[in-house]
Amino acid sequence: MLLRIDNIDFSYQSSKILDSVTFEVKSGEFLGIMGPNGSGKTTLLRCISNVLSPQIGTVLIDGKNIQKLSKREIARNIGVVPQTSAIDFAFTVSELVLMGRTPYMERFKSETTHDFEIAEEAMRLTNTLRLAEKTFDELSGGEKQRVIIARALAQESKILLLDEPTVHLDISSQFEILKLIKNLSKQKEIVVIAVFHDLNLAAQYSDKLILLDNGKIVSMGLPDEVLTPENIQKTYHMDAIVKRHPITNTPYVTPCLFTEHDEKGKGVTVHVICGGGSGGDIMGFLLDKGFGVTTGVLNVLDSDFETAKNLKIPVVGELPFSQITNDSHKANIELIKEAKFVIITDFQIGYGNLKNIEAAEIALDSKTPVVIIDSTPISQKDFIQGNLEKYFNQLREKGAIFVENTKEALETILKEVSV
Amino acid sequence: MVINMAKINFEKKRIKWKLILIGLFVILIFTIIFATMIGTMGPLGQGKPEKIPMQSVLDILSGKAKLWPDVYKTIILDIRLSRILLAVLVGCALAVSGTTMQGLFKNPMADPFIIGLAAGAAVGASVSILLGMSISVSIYSTPFFASIGAMLTVFAVYVIAKSGGKVKVETLLLTGIAVGSFLTAVMSFMMYMAGQQFRFLFFWLLGGLYGASWEVIAIAFPLIILGTIIVQLFARDLNAIVLGEEPATHLGINVETVKKILLIFSSLVAGVAVAFSGIIGFVGLIIPHMMRILVGPDHRILLPASALAGGIFLVWADTIARTVLSPTEIPVGIITALCGAPFFVYLLQKSKKGRL
Repeated sequence: MLLRIDNIDFSYQSSKILDSVTFEVKSGEFLGIMGPNGSGKTTLLRCISNVLSPQIGTVLIDGKNIQKLSKREIARNIGVVPQTSAIDFAFTVSELVLMGRTPYMERFKSETTHDFEIAEEAMRLTNTLRLAEKTFDELSGGEKQRVIIARALAQESKILLLDEPTVHLDISSQFEILKLIKNLSKQKEIVVIAVFHDLNLAAQYSDKLILLDNGKIVSMGLPDEVLTPENIQKTYHMDAIVKRHPITNTPYVTPCLFTEHDEKGKGVTVHVICGGGSGGDIMGFLLDKGFGVTTGVLNVLDSDFETAKNLKIPVVGELPFSQITNDSHKANIELIKEAKFVIITDFQIGYGNLKNIEAAEIALDSKTPVVIIDSTPISQKDFIQGNLEKYFNQLREKGAIFVENTKEALETILKEVSV
Repeated sequence: MVINMAKINFEKKRIKWKLILIGLFVILIFTIIFATMIGTMGPLGQGKPEKIPMQSVLDILSGKAKLWPDVYKTIILDIRLSRILLAVLVGCALAVSGTTMQGLFKNPMADPFIIGLAAGAAVGASVSILLGMSISVSIYSTPFFASIGAMLTVFAVYVIAKSGGKVKVETLLLTGIAVGSFLTAVMSFMMYMAGQQFRFLFFWLLGGLYGASWEVIAIAFPLIILGTIIVQLFARDLNAIVLGEEPATHLGINVETVKKILLIFSSLVAGVAVAFSGIIGFVGLIIPHMMRILVGPDHRILLPASALAGGIFLVWADTIARTVLSPTEIPVGIITALCGAPFFVYLLQKSKKGRL
């Protein structure tokens, strides 16, 4: 089975909703379609299911033009699962699943044993057998979606179209439904095309992704290739950090939407000395306030290093688990020379990163103000056999400003800048 | 060997369906026989000036009329039975049309008159009555004008609601309400101007089966049965449409065509009913609900069950209408509402989920 969308254009009156969309999906493949509101995702799905007819281009199922097929033939090839289904009359689950056999039944005939077997199999696969005699409105949101999926399976269609199938479900049902669909696509060799709003769900379950914007395919390919900060910026006009899901290793998008973006920082550069994830927030806040930010030295596996890379902050990196080398130290001092302020965040200091504290001292020597966020008791972050207090006292003597938290540090610097 | 529960349950349901249909049919037959015995000359009733023996009714109904005086035959067959059979047909028509409209519009408030059919028929009937044609030209003038009014209205509503080759049910519903209100205003104006004809028109509007005759049956029977059968053929499509128009399309149903066919034939049966019996409310609304509680929402059983139950209900309502204030007659529409509404509320309370 091969579904080919060949160069389709769709317009409502004069506005173009889909523009030269072309792609292919094979049996057993799970394709996710993403895009902002109004990008044409649902329209594309409705063109594939032949509810809408594209003005240009064709939808081909195994080379056959869908427009040449009858409605019944299309229903035997394509099953559709909408966002939600409201059924006002008290049909039971088994009656609803049996309706999936409609495209196979003759007008004057009743359901055959074969129809019952198919329906039962569909209910078994979707784990809805025990709900068979319940009415639809007695079911939870997740159960309802499973029943609708069972009905689509009863159609024995080799193509399953889903329009944001989990958008109204709670978080555990979202995963349950998507896992079910993913398994079905492999087990029954079904072509699955699903529209997603949630980029991370899309990344986690899709084999291939399509990113739509203004009716055009912006990017298509493996989740890694499609979900890049550049593509997200291009389509959603939003900064995002793309990390990896800790377990599935699929791309994981974290939006960085700052709330009070302004230019109070006047482009002044601040160097952040951090580590172990302690610097992420201050780097974000500084950027949001219009400061320039640099950081270092950080080991490349440190999450602060990753954050800096994602925020496109100049960073001096060091090999994983290594002490700061003299080269890195020098590079860091160069960055500090460019900076008007230095911030030391609240992190643990050992012999490996002690050079960063020395770098701060050098900053103070050249009259660059240093702000130290110091809320953790010193004994808990001292990994240099009790000598940290000595280093900190030295910094204090040279004029370092000690503050309680990130917010205070930011305010201190903003005050200095505004003077 | 896997036991297929879905199949077993469905077969059980099939047997239940058959029993219900047979049961309703038997009740209908007894209702017809019983109702022919009720009336001015009995055998059940006042029996004035003379009481017809029970045996004569059974003989006449079973074709052995020669044993009894001709006047008995006239009363039992020509006056009573024709009226009872018209009640069966009209009840069946209204219930089938109501069931179809509720399914099409996915709206439990829908009834056969939802798209302005009754108002259209009423305007047609008013025209014929005001022009004095109901008496002078032919007894069929009013039914003829009423059905023309009904057809034109349904057609107009459909054409107005149509856009881009498709008719959205929501638009159809609202257009029906708008056109219906407009026509009701037209009819009210005509009633205001009616003068002496007012009472006749008012009586027609409340509905009644006093116009029954074998000629009327000969016209109504084929049309109503034809419409009922055609709607029944699309019962499974209607099940799918109840799920929503797009889901129905995805099940391979040609929704626009099916919608058109169902609208035409359910309007036809309702139009014929209205033409001969005026506007009898409530049957088309409550019978489908009652049957949905009894047999479930599957239109393959719901439509025939509603047809039979509508017939039974209207025969009883009409029997009350013609006897309770005998020799005067109450418009049957009053009875259907008086009996139907409280019973409907009772059913609503009783149905365990409080929904239909």
